[in-house]
Amino acid sequence: MAGPLLRALRSPRVSIALGMILGIVFCAIFAGTIAPHDPGDQNLLSILTPPVWADGGDPSFLLGTDSLGRDVLSRLIYGARTAMLVAVFASLGAMIIGTILAHISGYFGGVIDWIIGRAVDIWMSFPPVILSLILMVGLGVGLSKVILAIILVDWTRFCRVLRSEVLIVTRNDYVAAARLLGFTHWQTITREVLPATLPLLITLISLEMAIAVVVEAILSFVGLGVGADQPAWGQMIADARQYVYQSPWNLLLPVIAIFLTVAAFNVLGDGLRRTLDVRLSETGR
Amino acid sequence: MIATVITLIARRLVAAIPILLIVSALLFCVLRALPVDPAAMSLPPNATIEEVEAKRKEMGLDKPLVQQYAIWLKGALHGDFGASIQFRRQAGTLVASTLPATIQLAVAAMAIAGILGLAGGLVLFRLRGTLLEPVADLLSILLLSIPEFLWGLILLFVFGVLLHLLPFTGAVAPGLPIPHVTGFLLLDALLIGRLDIFLSACQHLILPSIALGLAFSPTIMRVLRSSLFDVYHEDYITQARLRGLSEQQVLIGHALKNAALPTLTLAGVQFGILFSGTLLVEVIYSYPGMGNLMVDAVRNADLPLIQTIGLTYCVVVLIINTAVDSLYVVMNPKLRVR
Repeated sequence: MAGPLLRALRSPRVSIALGMILGIVFCAIFAGTIAPHDPGDQNLLSILTPPVWADGGDPSFLLGTDSLGRDVLSRLIYGARTAMLVAVFASLGAMIIGTILAHISGYFGGVIDWIIGRAVDIWMSFPPVILSLILMVGLGVGLSKVILAIILVDWTRFCRVLRSEVLIVTRNDYVAAARLLGFTHWQTITREVLPATLPLLITLISLEMAIAVVVEAILSFVGLGVGADQPAWGQMIADARQYVYQSPWNLLLPVIAIFLTVAAFNVLGDGLRRTLDVRLSETGR
Repeated sequence: MIATVITLIARRLVAAIPILLIVSALLFCVLRALPVDPAAMSLPPNATIEEVEAKRKEMGLDKPLVQQYAIWLKGALHGDFGASIQFRRQAGTLVASTLPATIQLAVAAMAIAGILGLAGGLVLFRLRGTLLEPVADLLSILLLSIPEFLWGLILLFVFGVLLHLLPFTGAVAPGLPIPHVTGFLLLDALLIGRLDIFLSACQHLILPSIALGLAFSPTIMRVLRSSLFDVYHEDYITQARLRGLSEQQVLIGHALKNAALPTLTLAGVQFGILFSGTLLVEVIYSYPGMGNLMVDAVRNADLPLIQTIGLTYCVVVLIINTAVDSLYVVMNPKLRVR
């Protein structure tokens, strides 16, 4: 496991992507220290200031201000915190539920497999965007609600892809041997099957983090995200969309932030997939 | 072959019934768990508690959940999906009036995604083994990282705001009448013979459909490339080469046809996702489709409307999946023999 991971890191793509992610994570963790202003501070005397390099830019607001005079750079940095919190917890949650069900389904087969399979079918007959919107209506806005909604929508991605992997792994002789040695089902799954599906799992998590960032941005954009008091990139876009003629940069900057984050996770996921060489369908999104 | 397709469609439709029942029941439960009172919402704010109670009774909200669902289901089977709280009109009528615009957008976007995906896939494949391959590959992953939502904003910014080339709000220019014949704006404009409306509608469709199409083309590109790779290992490709066919002829005449099948299946699956992707593009471009209606309903906690639109999305996706499966049978001779 460690060998292939190190090999993956040697690819320039993967290391650049990882570097970018670490940079964003750094912003997220130390947002309070590196942000020049409080992201909620309103300066109604200097609203919609352009970035410092444009005409009329103010050096105290490096990337300008939004329609309420809040510092765009600080909001971008705090937005990274929101995005990373959602990416990490939503994908971990979806992974845990999806992985457990996939292992139960693939390992035991039979009726359990059928039931879980049908549940996934029904879940997936709902377009993800629509399902998350409906869940947000039910849950209400807030950071933890966004995370919960993404978990409830996206566990199926893990479940479906991992189940087929578990099915293949379970047929291996060493799994049967483990059972013959007197391993319990639990021991067999955790010690023999799970390690074999781990490479696929790591790739899936990376891709899922990209999806979670996008979904959070979408929900915040339509006003059903983390809530108005928490800076989020999607919210910044929704705000800037109304003043796109006056301050185009306010729209572009969060768009660039989302793109860079999503691209970094996707490139990392793709690089890991290549080096860890797993069967992953191209329908990763 | 026709018999196989009909059996397939029939079987899928029968399988769709329990799925739709469960989905609608789940939707019903999720939406009823909300801390909002549809009865109070559908009355003016100065209504007395007695009036709200009477309304609750009238709407059947005092009954147990199962019974409420049964009432809703009975209505739905008769085409009555309840009245929208904010618009005070039948939810079914509202959906029916916005669905054509969304279908139009989705079809246009799918055509664009298909063309870009085909061209891009062929280019990616032709670049194999060259120095440009890693560059093109990385580019396709970066393209994959731009969801329709970001494309919408980028195109709006570049072509609408910066270059002033194309309109980016609504379905036609303000001031033009909107014809109502079939509900499909492009078709209706032609039917009543108004070329100006048709052209304006086309212009307004360009940015949203390109935004949506661009977001879905990289997946098609990458799958087409990898299935072309698979096909090129087959003996008939070597054989075609031995017969002296040019590389172009081998690729277009022999490989592409066979590689098209997995790509088509994926494109079908993508079409389902693309259909729900219209939601954000509609919001960004204020396009009067079902997605905008949905966001409106969600913001106002308009439960009957949310339920109806949610179910409509499911039905459309189920229909698309069935259509793709039948198309697959038609295109793949191996599946016709039973």
